Amino acid sequence: MRSTRNVVRAEQDERLGHYSDPPMLVLASLANGPKHGHAMIEDIVRLCGTRLGPGTLYGAIARLEQQGWIKPLPAEDRRQPYRITAEGIRVLRAKLTTLRQFTKTGLERLEAL
Amino acid sequence: MNPKLAHLLVLMYPRPWRERYGAEFEALLQTGRGGLRASANVVWSAIHEHVFPTPGFEANQYPTSVVALTKKPSAFLPLAMSFTALAVLGIAASLGDLVRQPDEGVTAHLWQILIGGQIPVLIFFAVKWVRRAPKQTLYVLAFQAAAAISAMAPVYFLHL
Repeated sequence: MRSTRNVVRAEQDERLGHYSDPPMLVLASLANGPKHGHAMIEDIVRLCGTRLGPGTLYGAIARLEQQGWIKPLPAEDRRQPYRITAEGIRVLRAKLTTLRQFTKTGLERLEAL
Repeated sequence: MNPKLAHLLVLMYPRPWRERYGAEFEALLQTGRGGLRASANVVWSAIHEHVFPTPGFEANQYPTSVVALTKKPSAFLPLAMSFTALAVLGIAASLGDLVRQPDEGVTAHLWQILIGGQIPVLIFFAVKWVRRAPKQTLYVLAFQAAAAISAMAPVYFLHL
C-alpha cells in the first residue's frame, strides 16, 4: 500500500509556509494591474496559497488607501477596483528586496545545517 | 453570501468606515463565498475596526464626560446586566425562592448568565475606550464593578 505520510507532510509544509501579510499581499496583487476585491482574493490564492477573508482584505485596503499606497478607480457596477500608486510600488519594491535578502540568507543557513 | 446577512455584517462596522467602504464591501460579501468562516472573519474585522480604527476613520469626537461614555452600548450593557441580575434575586426573594438548592434552578442560571455574559462586553469596553478617554473609562469601569459587586453580594452573604 502506498504511504500517505509524504503527502500529509507536503500539505503540512504548505500550510506552515503560508505567507500572511495582508497589506503586502494586496500590493503584490495590484502590481500587475488594477483589481477589485474578489479578483484580489483569487489572485492572492494563486500567488501564495493564502485566501484572505473579506474582512481582512478590506482592513488592508482601507489602511493602504489611507497611506496613499493604493487608489480607487471609477466603480464598475458595484465593484470597486483599486490600483497601486507610485509610492505603493516603491514600498512594495523595498519590502520585497528586504524579503529576498532575508530569504536568501535564511535558506543558506538552513542548507548549512 | 445571503444579502441580508451581508448587510447585517456591514452594519457591525463603525459609521465612518461604513460610509466610505460599506457599499463596495457589501457587494463583495454578496458575490463572495459565504459560510461561517467568512462571517467570523468579518465579525472579527469589525471588532478590530472598532478597537483599532483605520487612521482617518476614527470618530470625530470622543465622549468628554462620564455620562456621555455611559450611554455607549458597551458601557451601558454590563450595568444593565448587573442590575437585572440583582432584580432577578429580588424577584426570587419576593416569591420566597431565594434559598440554596442542591439542583440550581432558573434563578441561579439566569443570574450566572447575566454576570458571566457581561465579561466579554466589559473587556471590549475597556480595550476600546481606555486609550481614548482614560479618565472617563476608569469611572465607568468603577461603576460597572460596583454594579457587579452589588449583584454578587446577596449570593455571597446569603450563601446561595
